[in-house]
Amino acid sequence: MGMDPIALQAGFDLLGDGRPETLWLGIGTLLMIIGTFYFIAQGWGVTDKEAREYYAITILVPGIASAAYLAMFFGIGVTEVELASGAVLDIYYARYADWLFTTPLLLLDLALLAKVDRVSIGTLIGVDALMIVTGLIGALSKTPLARYTWWLFSTIAFLFVLYYLLTSLRSAAAQRSEEVQSTFNTLTALVAVLWTAYPILWIVGTEGAGVVGLGVETLAFMVLDVTAKVGFGFVLLRSRAILGETEAPEPSAGADASAAD
Amino acid sequence: MTDTNTQETPVLNTRSVVGLAVCLVIALSGIFLIPTFESRAGFGVTFWTMAALELLAMVGVAYFVLNLHEE
Repeated sequence: MGMDPIALQAGFDLLGDGRPETLWLGIGTLLMIIGTFYFIAQGWGVTDKEAREYYAITILVPGIASAAYLAMFFGIGVTEVELASGAVLDIYYARYADWLFTTPLLLLDLALLAKVDRVSIGTLIGVDALMIVTGLIGALSKTPLARYTWWLFSTIAFLFVLYYLLTSLRSAAAQRSEEVQSTFNTLTALVAVLWTAYPILWIVGTEGAGVVGLGVETLAFMVLDVTAKVGFGFVLLRSRAILGETEAPEPSAGADASAAD
Repeated sequence: MTDTNTQETPVLNTRSVVGLAVCLVIALSGIFLIPTFESRAGFGVTFWTMAALELLAMVGVAYFVLNLHEE
């Protein structure tokens, strides 16, 4: 009995263009759209000054991610990279466009929670952008040496971001209320765990050693992306930590904000 | 529904709201103009244009969010 081709391909070719990963890209698009509209509905009518800033950022993150996923679903932003060995890789570089926009904004949420100065925010965002751009250059490089060197560069930038989060931002957050500290620590743990999985997936995926195929890789990136963006936003926006110190309206029409307490 | 909330609603900075909308358009353009760029200018130009547009949009969002309200 032959093996199930769908299981082998880890996906389903929804568009009939030979890309089984479109199943995961389609699901990713839907989940990001649902997240975006959920956050919009939750934030509708919020008047608190600080809460509005968090909502503006947190709505845009899955909003742009859903656009990037939709683009990849239709085959936009995918290119073939011919390696020095002669092998040809399909690289979804639109994914990096998404990350270049969204990951600094997730860090901005954390920086606003910790209330750090604008120089610190700029440093964090700059290193994060460097992390994504070098990862993209690595994905598009032709020789293994160049690919792994850029991956290492990107990973070092990531470790710097993580170190900055766990030291400077954490100590700044420690000066704030219990609610802020709790939310900050939860979100930082989420970022530390999920973002660590990205370079690992890169190195074992098609862009690295090729241990897992494009279908599994796309599925894993989709799960990580949805959790790191929609999951992150869900935790953040349900917390009362986003409210200003002098105001305390409910942050959502239907959700019980105290559930996060 | 009486006077439980006596604080004034902070006034949004119109420029920042417009700026956020423009950044959204720029970020979306960076993604969806890829095929147009690629067919006309080749992959290298597309790659750097996309990266520049996304970076610009992200920096813009950060700036306008930090200045979302009138002083």
